[in-house]
Amino acid sequence: MSTPLLSVSNLSVSYGKVEAVRNVSLEVFSGEIVTVIGANGAGKSTLLNAAMGILPAVGEQTFDGAAMGRLEVEDRVAAGLSLVSERRELFSSMSVEDNLRLGAVRFSEREAQARMAGVFDRFPRLKERRRQEAGTMSGGERQMLAMGRALMAGPKVLMLDEPSLGLAPRIVADIFTIIEDLRKDGVAILLVEQNARAALNAADRAYVMELGEITMSGKAADLANDPQIERSYLGFH
Amino acid sequence: MDLTILLFLVQDGITNGAIYALLGFALVLVFAVTRIIFIPQGEFVAYGALTYAMLQGGHVPGTAYLLPIFAFVALLFDLYAERSRITGAFLLRQGIEKIVVPLALLFAAREMAGVSTVSSLILTVAIVAALGPHLYRIAFQPLADRSVLVLLIAAVGTHLALTGLGLVFFGAEGQKADALTDFSIDLGPLPVSGQNIAVYVATVLLIAGLYWFFERTVQGKALRATAVNRLGARLVGIRTKGTGKIALALAAGIGAVSGVLLAPMTTIYYDTGFVIGLKGFVAAIIAGLASYPLTAAAAIAVGLIESFSSFFASDYKEVIVFTLLIPVLLVRSFASKHTDEED
Repeated sequence: MSTPLLSVSNLSVSYGKVEAVRNVSLEVFSGEIVTVIGANGAGKSTLLNAAMGILPAVGEQTFDGAAMGRLEVEDRVAAGLSLVSERRELFSSMSVEDNLRLGAVRFSEREAQARMAGVFDRFPRLKERRRQEAGTMSGGERQMLAMGRALMAGPKVLMLDEPSLGLAPRIVADIFTIIEDLRKDGVAILLVEQNARAALNAADRAYVMELGEITMSGKAADLANDPQIERSYLGFH
Repeated sequence: MDLTILLFLVQDGITNGAIYALLGFALVLVFAVTRIIFIPQGEFVAYGALTYAMLQGGHVPGTAYLLPIFAFVALLFDLYAERSRITGAFLLRQGIEKIVVPLALLFAAREMAGVSTVSSLILTVAIVAALGPHLYRIAFQPLADRSVLVLLIAAVGTHLALTGLGLVFFGAEGQKADALTDFSIDLGPLPVSGQNIAVYVATVLLIAGLYWFFERTVQGKALRATAVNRLGARLVGIRTKGTGKIALALAAGIGAVSGVLLAPMTTIYYDTGFVIGLKGFVAAIIAGLASYPLTAAAAIAVGLIESFSSFFASDYKEVIVFTLLIPVLLVRSFASKHTDEED
């Protein structure tokens, strides 16, 4: 078996005395869409933030075969790992173009322009709005901008935290189409979603998280048909 | 009061106001990027003025010796912080940044003291601006994630330390530099000196330069982005520790330029900077520590009020200027929503 691009094992994250994530092990291989589903507060976002280096964590973390536990956020971005946070974390008083340009902050102007053209192909909407301030855009556009900005860094693994949160169903469908396109273009995806049905439909493999622990994992299609999952996570959709 | 006196007061007010505007910009810039209310800004002015006066007089300024010391302490901090992941490239970069550059500037100061006005000017700005990043590394980087209050306390401590170091390295004697130029032009009854014109030109150039830097360059945009959203900046790979150093280098450079401009107009002592910096601070606070154009307008107003009050009630001129803060803070506290800082 090949080495995973992103791997965490026995990862634990604590907020003070509360252990929000406990002994979680997870892998993302090249060309995969992997999803983590679970209820609100299960520790999914905490897991992604720890993998990005924003939160201190105990446990082993590797990226593309190399240990990354001690790397700062900035070094993880340079290595090829990007996170689109649940709150998007855009530069709201700056233009769409400036937001994208800063996504490729390490690269030359020429390289950044080439990448920006690629992002505009993927998100034509952003091209129309290129001079608009990020903070004045709709929720769907902001999500697209956050994804576009993350893609500017040229990630090998893109982690998406609740990309469909608060968006209209038609836009959610667009976002999932884009996620599948990204996989075709060679970007592995780690997707955290409360919208479990959409996530399981898009993903190859899935992990189920409950109270900070991974309780089930397997092929997304198998989990989608698991009666317990259906009852707990798919019932309302 | 006749027209001539009025014009003199206005000119004086605008000249001082332009310098306060520069200091106000530095404070807004540092606060936006690092959340530090940067009390020691005035020390950079004093260091700049004294460094320039000494270089012009053919002496090696104390700051030229202070810089390698600061850099060496910062080097020790970095070596300790990175002790488990030291690489050759890291050592090379640190060596250039913290040993070669400071010693080269010291060497240049020894060789070029008194050579020309231009070389003194360039050396002054280079030496004082270079102090900024090391100061950030030593005093503020270890506290970067702490609250505004903690950073303010560190800033007050830094101010006291820099004033003390100023006394050690420059002595208690005040210094005054020669004017940049003897040029003078008469506008009606009002003679405008080359020094005044230099202040206006430098202020306008610095404003234009800052605008270009923040609007047109990636580094400038990265600094703004850090100010807008620190986490977002880290997520795109901006080194927010680096942005703090750039902000302090800019602030120190702006302080040095202000010092060079002031040095021929008034005698500067090691501790003169504080009061000058406070006036920039008043302007920045009136503008809410947020807006550059408002800061410029407020700084000009502070300069004008100061010059008129020094004419009508010279004993009270500082009191009048600083009293301005009270109504401004009152209005601000009623007009704005109170938000407690999260930490």
